[in-house]
Amino acid sequence: MDWSGVTTTMKSSEKWKAFVESRQKDLGSYLQFDPERGSADSSPEGPLAGVPFAVKDNIAVRGFRLTCGSRMLRDFVSPYSATVIERLQKAGGIVAGKTNLDEFGMGSSTENSALLETRNPWDLRRVPGGSSGGSAVAVAAGLAAFGLGSDTGGSVRQPAAFCGVYGLKPTWGAVSRFGLVAYASSLEGIGVMAKTVEMTETVFSLIRGQDPRDHSSLSWQPPALKKGPWVIGVPRECGDVPMHPDVKKTLENTRGLLRKLGHDIRDVSFPTLDHVVSSYYVIATAEASANLARFDGVRYGHRTRRAETPEAMTVASRTEGLGPEVKLRILLGTYVLRSGFQDEYYLRAQRIRTAIRMDFQKAFEGVDLVLMPVYPVPPFERGSADFDPFSQKLADIFTCAANLAGLPAMSFPAALENGLPIGMQFLAPPFAEELLFAACRQLEKEFPSPDAPGFPAGWR
Amino acid sequence: MDASELTVTARMARLILSPDEQEKLGAAVEQMLAHFSHMKEIDVHGLVPTTHALLRENRLRDDVESSLDVTEKLLENAPEREERFIVIPNVL
Repeated sequence: MDWSGVTTTMKSSEKWKAFVESRQKDLGSYLQFDPERGSADSSPEGPLAGVPFAVKDNIAVRGFRLTCGSRMLRDFVSPYSATVIERLQKAGGIVAGKTNLDEFGMGSSTENSALLETRNPWDLRRVPGGSSGGSAVAVAAGLAAFGLGSDTGGSVRQPAAFCGVYGLKPTWGAVSRFGLVAYASSLEGIGVMAKTVEMTETVFSLIRGQDPRDHSSLSWQPPALKKGPWVIGVPRECGDVPMHPDVKKTLENTRGLLRKLGHDIRDVSFPTLDHVVSSYYVIATAEASANLARFDGVRYGHRTRRAETPEAMTVASRTEGLGPEVKLRILLGTYVLRSGFQDEYYLRAQRIRTAIRMDFQKAFEGVDLVLMPVYPVPPFERGSADFDPFSQKLADIFTCAANLAGLPAMSFPAALENGLPIGMQFLAPPFAEELLFAACRQLEKEFPSPDAPGFPAGWR
Repeated sequence: MDASELTVTARMARLILSPDEQEKLGAAVEQMLAHFSHMKEIDVHGLVPTTHALLRENRLRDDVESSLDVTEKLLENAPEREERFIVIPNVL
């Protein structure tokens, strides 16, 4: 679909806005939809001139609310914009609005938002994935040309897979995080979702690179792009992970397709796979407990009405303002950092993280790319009792490895089974995003992103 | 983790748990800690802890004056203010 100039041509702009509003009740993608406000800071020219995009509501856009899906920040208005937003606005892109998410990015279904329910456009009874569920829905349903999300343990790739679109988690540090609300700093980064590989690549090329305002950002220095055919490794240990038959079948079919395209598919060894979820959740919750200590009810955010001392005010404000999943992770993180328990949990998890990195280093000595499923099950139903929050955490097994190792990874739509999209992902060595795009582009020719029910024909 | 440990941890995290949360969050914490205990199975001897996978050396920005100039906008987000001050309950 051609999105260029959609928000600058009066006729197509009205058509598109009316369409977005007509889908809001069913899908609940946007927490705030306001392209007029969004266009105020955009350049009239550039590669993205007039192209509307959706922004996960933990990324700051000047003049828009920045709720993080939390009661804590329900009324917070951002005084400034994230670096990624400024870069896209300079290229002509227009912020269409802010999208729903699991509170502070903590979850895999967007059900942990305190503010809105978001539904999967492929089946409204099912979740869109998470935590960047709102942005994935906006892209899949044609409500925006592309979406920005954040990926701490799979939060861009998993909702992209659940909604049938592409999802890029860049190399850690490749994209500035100035203006991203921090959850787990050593793991997270801003990522891109789109219906085509080309759009994903265009957006990434505009937002990447070092930023003086983000000390952890790195200059993007890609290795020389190797022309195919490639050697692609599939971790042997994936076979030990309980998987839905549709996901298993899609993995096998993707292997077959890649082989047919002339690539060399090999088993690789990833002995630490069984420990990535533990290592990930110890580190992520530890960092979360520190990062979220800033919400104290003093300078911004929710403040209780009933408190007689500053200390009581902070405790009551946090208790009232934070949701159950966030409290759970803060409690866990506080516990694993307590004196006496640090060696057993935090330090051990960080040592395992080293072992995970070494597994990947070893694998990439023999292969160009690693192929894995994104998630062990297809999009599940909302409030599903047989797939509770604990099972959802265990199911981060395929995604959170890339975060622990800082590697770039990209999920792609690989099948439509029983009317639901199934995604697979490639992982690559640091800064080899171009290789991810090249590999996904080959598969896109065979199986492009399927159009969700109700996907519009265009805006001309 | 027993109930008193949970209460101590909650206090450190500056949270108060309702009886219902004590039960539900307590069980969820327990479930996760049981899962974490599998980490004992792996031999970590000789492995240096990774804090960041790709963090590079420390660096400084150029020594030039710059400002976001958002003071008033930041103050507008304060729950309660008096001119340029943020109001909190009495300290003494």
